[in-house]
Amino acid sequence: MIDSSLTSLGAKVVVATSSDENHPPENIIDGNTTTFWMSTGMFPQEFIICFAEPTMISAVTVDSFNVKHLKIEKNTSQNASNFAFVGEKELEHTDGHIQTNAVSLNGSSATHLRFIITSGYDHFVSVHRVSVQN
Amino acid sequence: MVKLRARCLLLGDAAVGKSALCHMFHSDGTLFQKNYSMTTGVGLLMKCVNVPETNDSVELYIIDSAGKETLVEACEKMWGQPSLLCLVFDLTSEQSFASCSHWMERVHAHCEGLHVPGVLVGNKSDLSARREVQGSVAQEWAESQGLEYHETSAKEMENCDAPLLGLARAFHSLYQERRETIQNLSPG
Repeated sequence: MIDSSLTSLGAKVVVATSSDENHPPENIIDGNTTTFWMSTGMFPQEFIICFAEPTMISAVTVDSFNVKHLKIEKNTSQNASNFAFVGEKELEHTDGHIQTNAVSLNGSSATHLRFIITSGYDHFVSVHRVSVQN
Repeated sequence: MVKLRARCLLLGDAAVGKSALCHMFHSDGTLFQKNYSMTTGVGLLMKCVNVPETNDSVELYIIDSAGKETLVEACEKMWGQPSLLCLVFDLTSEQSFASCSHWMERVHAHCEGLHVPGVLVGNKSDLSARREVQGSVAQEWAESQGLEYHETSAKEMENCDAPLLGLARAFHSLYQERRETIQNLSPG
């Protein structure tokens, strides 16, 4: 499933803590790593992806830049609330190219995934793509 | 249109006028606090500044931290990771200017190796007869530290918006620089 974008599967980004109209959060789920969402200052930063229906997820792959620590939470509710921790990762710094990291979510079902960037390697970070492995 | 957010540390020796400047920022230059009351902890002020000649703005979360030596250590815990620095000294006190390099060292310990842009502010420019620090000397030191220099008088409400504009501009250009870097990244 990694080839189809989350957008084409009916997913939406329902929350993002930064907004630059030239780099909107929809860029995270369009399947394209040349478009991105960029944070506009300070940490933590977060975004929430809402799936069209409860989805089994074994792992997510995140393409980003300058993200240092990433925490992922999920829920199975219709609302973007009551999240439970599912995974976190300390990302390695990269120079001149995108960071690509998979985080295992143990095959759990989710309707929302919440990504919390608690720290970065710079004042600003970007997220280029989130893809889901079922 | 972009709204940036920056955590700005407001530092400098006690009684140089950090909180008075903060009041000026808050009231858009209409309110000078006449009674001195020493800041013993940290104060937080949010000030939104439009970046000139753009549609963009910067929300400055200004952390007004006590300057008194015995209180600094406790306050440092509240500094967090700064995005910007506003370092203030009193133009009538050579000592407060000399302290600026100590403040820079303290700040660096919180920056985790990141470049933090900022301004150096010489306050109390109205007290010209008592001036101990020459503008050119302060300017030169500021440049050596990568800071932009401004002189203000919170009391006479002079030039108080200049440091804010300088901070907003600096953060905005950092954002644009980083955005360009990100646009030119190669795939992982």
